[in-house]
Amino acid sequence: MIIETHALTKKYGNKTACDQIDLSIEAGQVYGFLGRNGAGKSTCIKMLTGLVFPTSGSGTVLGRPLGDVSAREKMGYLPELFRYQDWMTGLDLLNFHAQLFKLKNKKDQISRVLKLVGLVGQENYKVGSYSKGMQQRIGLACALLPNPQLIFLDEPTSALDPIGRKDVRDIIVSLKDEGTTVFLNSHLLSEVEAVCDSVTFIHKGKVVKSARMDELLMTKILLTIRANGLTEELFAKLNKQHESLQKLADGSLTVSLNDYEEIPALAASLIANGVTLYELTPHRETLETVFMQIVGEEGQSS
Amino acid sequence: MLNYFPNTSVTHGMGNQFKPFAIQMVTKMGFQFSAMLIALLTIMLGSGAIASELESGLIQGILSRPIQRYQYILGKLGGLVILACTYATLLFSLILVIGAFFGLSTITSLTFSQIMTGWLLYLLLPVAVLCLTLFGSVSLKAVSNGILMIFIYILGNVGGMVEMIGQYVSNNSVIGTGIFISLISPFQTIYSTMERVMVPNSELAASAMSAASLSGSGKPASLWMFLYIAIYMLGFVTLAIRKFSNKDIT
Repeated sequence: MIIETHALTKKYGNKTACDQIDLSIEAGQVYGFLGRNGAGKSTCIKMLTGLVFPTSGSGTVLGRPLGDVSAREKMGYLPELFRYQDWMTGLDLLNFHAQLFKLKNKKDQISRVLKLVGLVGQENYKVGSYSKGMQQRIGLACALLPNPQLIFLDEPTSALDPIGRKDVRDIIVSLKDEGTTVFLNSHLLSEVEAVCDSVTFIHKGKVVKSARMDELLMTKILLTIRANGLTEELFAKLNKQHESLQKLADGSLTVSLNDYEEIPALAASLIANGVTLYELTPHRETLETVFMQIVGEEGQSS
Repeated sequence: MLNYFPNTSVTHGMGNQFKPFAIQMVTKMGFQFSAMLIALLTIMLGSGAIASELESGLIQGILSRPIQRYQYILGKLGGLVILACTYATLLFSLILVIGAFFGLSTITSLTFSQIMTGWLLYLLLPVAVLCLTLFGSVSLKAVSNGILMIFIYILGNVGGMVEMIGQYVSNNSVIGTGIFISLISPFQTIYSTMERVMVPNSELAASAMSAASLSGSGKPASLWMFLYIAIYMLGFVTLAIRKFSNKDIT
């Protein structure tokens, strides 16, 4: 495991930011870390990167205990609130971080990351004159300098335009192809869905669900039904069998099914009761609907 | 200033003695104001050195790299010491050059040993201020730290004055209070010792300055006091490292 934590807890006075976090992350995957604002995601990342000290619990990152400096030699981190020395040029900043990483082949690595983040030709301008998106790119370049085995990206696309977001997605995919483990914290669920292999949902400092992305999204099928002749009596009868059955404003129905095999039976039942079927459209559940279910339910229950 | 002092009560009736007195005053004030300027600039440099990076979040990108936290503190201290000492050396040299240019006997009569000792003591002042300010920068916000450090620095001047008043009225408890204040803020003690080295015959000038309420000036510091100052500086750097090493970077 490239990251392993046991009951990792962080308290600030009476407030618990992270509560008994257990993570077990295999190397070489893109790992999504999801939750609402203030759920404790950034605090958890900061504990893993050694910026914040846990109140209790333990863990290892790259086989070293949390906070161990040697682990950071092969670890990249792009903070959520990225801020860099704005009086430096992009090149100066990369040189500075290359020195912090004690890199031997600084020049090669700097030109590699500049190319990767699309800042070639912009490196001699002052960081202060960069747009927010360019600052995020230079931050990403700094994090990629040591050719990391593990990289933490805390909201890496928050300041980027759609093209920039796609570029970052491509970088994440190429990092994964090279065997780098990417720990991604993002509110852009479509982005997480597109690149992550596994996700963990965190709510009010606690892990509420961890699963592989394919397992998470394949568990439920959302079926949209357009039909005519559905009586209230029949709707009530079907609702007893399928609690998730809902009538939408445009008159169509939606129902959440566990399996594709349930679709023919439902269609047969509708036809047998004199309903005229025009359309049956199954959808895979999106990460957004899963997120709303998991985090929303937790929010209501707490 | 040369027009002002002949009319004061201190210089009244001094006749031909006035010129060396005025020269001493110019030299003393040159050192005094430049030392105060250096101390305040050092406070400005040091108060936000770490605090402002903590506040802006800039530090997150640095401390997530493979460096120890003590290296960060010592790196900051080293850089600021070089900067403050360079500036202090520049000012110190300028005072000497200007004094020599106008043929001030207080400057032209200085020996090499006096200049070197004076220079080292002059450098010690910003370094000592920096050690305390850096600890404040780890513990407080930049602005609060700056205000507190200026207060502590001025407190040292008050301590010198209190000690001097104690000596004047021969009251041991007042002297003790002055010494206690100097232990909290030993910067005036460093300055006074430097002044005694660079302007050795400045007792008359010192009394004139004190009469004008510009500064206090106690006895020159003993070797024990300098040992205390060394412990004071090391202590605050150690405390800064210790506090910073356990600090959550949020």
